[in-house]
Amino acid sequence: MNAKSAGFAFPWLLRKEYRELVASRAWWVLLFATGPLVGVTFISAVRTYAEASGLNGTAAGVGEAFSPLVGIWAPTFSACEVAAVFLLPFVAIRLVSGDRQSGALKIEAQHPLPAIARIGAKALVLGGAWLVASLPGAIAVGLWRSYGGSVYPPELAAVLFGHLLNAGLTIALAGVTAAVSEHPSTAAILTLSVTVGTWILNFIAAVQGGIWERLAGYTPPAMIATFQHGLVRLDVVLIASLLIAAGLVLASVWIRTGVAVRRRVRETVAWSAAAAAAIFACTFATPSWDASESRANSLPEPDEHALAQLHAPLRVEAHLAPEDPRRADLERKALSKLRRVLPRVEVQYVSSTAIGLFEQTRPHYGEIWYELGGRREMSRSTTAEGMLETIYDLAGIKPPAESDDSIFRGHPLAVPPKGAATVFYGIWPALVVASALFARRRPA
Amino acid sequence: MLQARNLTKRYGRLTALGDVSFSVRAGEVLGLIGPNGSGKTTLFECMGGVLPLDEGSLVRDGRPLSDRERAATLFYLPDSIVPWPAQSVRWAIEFTLGFFRGRTDQRDAVIEQLDVEPLLDLPMASLSKGQRKRALLAIGLLMPQPVLLADEPFEGLDLRQSREVAQTLRSYASAGRTMFLSIHQIRDAARVCDRFVLLSAGQARGEGTLKELAAAAAARGSSAGDDLEEVFLALT
Repeated sequence: MNAKSAGFAFPWLLRKEYRELVASRAWWVLLFATGPLVGVTFISAVRTYAEASGLNGTAAGVGEAFSPLVGIWAPTFSACEVAAVFLLPFVAIRLVSGDRQSGALKIEAQHPLPAIARIGAKALVLGGAWLVASLPGAIAVGLWRSYGGSVYPPELAAVLFGHLLNAGLTIALAGVTAAVSEHPSTAAILTLSVTVGTWILNFIAAVQGGIWERLAGYTPPAMIATFQHGLVRLDVVLIASLLIAAGLVLASVWIRTGVAVRRRVRETVAWSAAAAAAIFACTFATPSWDASESRANSLPEPDEHALAQLHAPLRVEAHLAPEDPRRADLERKALSKLRRVLPRVEVQYVSSTAIGLFEQTRPHYGEIWYELGGRREMSRSTTAEGMLETIYDLAGIKPPAESDDSIFRGHPLAVPPKGAATVFYGIWPALVVASALFARRRPA
Repeated sequence: MLQARNLTKRYGRLTALGDVSFSVRAGEVLGLIGPNGSGKTTLFECMGGVLPLDEGSLVRDGRPLSDRERAATLFYLPDSIVPWPAQSVRWAIEFTLGFFRGRTDQRDAVIEQLDVEPLLDLPMASLSKGQRKRALLAIGLLMPQPVLLADEPFEGLDLRQSREVAQTLRSYASAGRTMFLSIHQIRDAARVCDRFVLLSAGQARGEGTLKELAAAAAARGSSAGDDLEEVFLALT
């Protein structure tokens, strides 16, 4: 058998994985559940959006600056995150472990097709399965349009891309655990342990800050949050893609039951080291794109042009504890936007406790020092405006004139989620049940 | 055609196979005889590439087979598996034929000889042990490799079916296919095999035709005669 025969074998494998997917109850449960899950979040988001936009007597105008990205897409597609964390792993584990459990692997493994092709076929089918399971999200977009809602394709695409990467990470993780474990239940426990581990990492990061904060920025929940704000960061995309590739490679290493365990361990160590090195290199990739219509992740354009004149490195020393809400404000509202314009920003947080509660009386607590070209200036403001004022002062640049043109006015929409409940709680589940019955009764 | 040289497999301190060597001749029905736990399945899984060997190799024309050459030479049909449980027998046969580029021209004949026709539209998981064995044997016979390793091919079959399957396997051997069958029922083995490899506690205790093995037993002072059971007991 040669490469040509491997080429013939791959479509057969794809067809087989598809049939195995359709035969699995886990897949139909995922499909069934995504409708109501998306429905709950979408209906609740549209209602909140409508109320804030003036429905039911609320003062009109409150909804100004309301962005569908924050008000509709982020909450609606958060249902996909729940499905990816709690349902998709079982579908993936079923597809990878099923061959081992049934003994089919003993037959299929005798084909000289590379193990990565075997895992690749499963990943492709699972990726397709995820897209089908995401259809309720597409239905939500259609309903929103039918209500007269505004859709800004770049920000919607950013959210969808983030959830696709998240699903890829789940598939890769479940693939590894299923390939390593003898039993699917062990694989499920391992997968959920890793998920819980990322939550713990986020908690530690919130308390400790520093390197933990940096690491937590690459966990799936943080990654999803970035995309939900309409920000597409190259480092996040590269690292997520690398983690997916590494997961699939490691899964392919471990499904080769005919290879000695010692060799598989050696290969795992080598691949993991290579992936870790590549991931570390990717953390230095700074480009990012703000896909949000409201430029939620960017400073005003005139300020970006003004800051582009700065060539000296800027050093920021913030005396704020990791759990101090002012630190989160400073990071989210000011520094994260500044980093996108000035790559040479060095930020150092100084605190002696995690919560900062007992540091409030310390002489320098709360101070934010900016240093540019040998000059230092202190500010206590955690807003973008306060930060910019200090930087302009230090650099001796005249602040650009404020303009109303660039202000995002939002898209208020005061309509109820008409028909959504029927679609998500009635039609979708009924369609899924009917499709399941049809598919499972269909002869070979 | 093929030599197994010093095949060794260990599970920690337990040696499942220790320096097992024998030869496989083209077109023969070779029986691997041994009691439960003697290492028959381990030997087949190692030969089929499903389990890694600790030492030893399969040799053809004086040189060890590469993984690709092994995959092109041997097909291992495991016992006690329910592959693709939700899929029909028809689909399982079509899939393996397509995936391995099997002997499509022999499909109808094999299905008829093994009486698989009534099972074609049933899911693999719904088959009885004997029905599943026939379906899997059909898959094994349709594979393109010249050597078929079948683990317990008569397990789950009644007397009549055992005889029919034995006859079918012999007919394929006569047509040039090499059969290597792992059998723990020595009477079944005596009925179908040309030569035997005796395996006990992971060690090869003898190899040859019944006559050759009987002679070896006699040389050890046994009066086993031509009874394979007695010969096996004398040599193991």
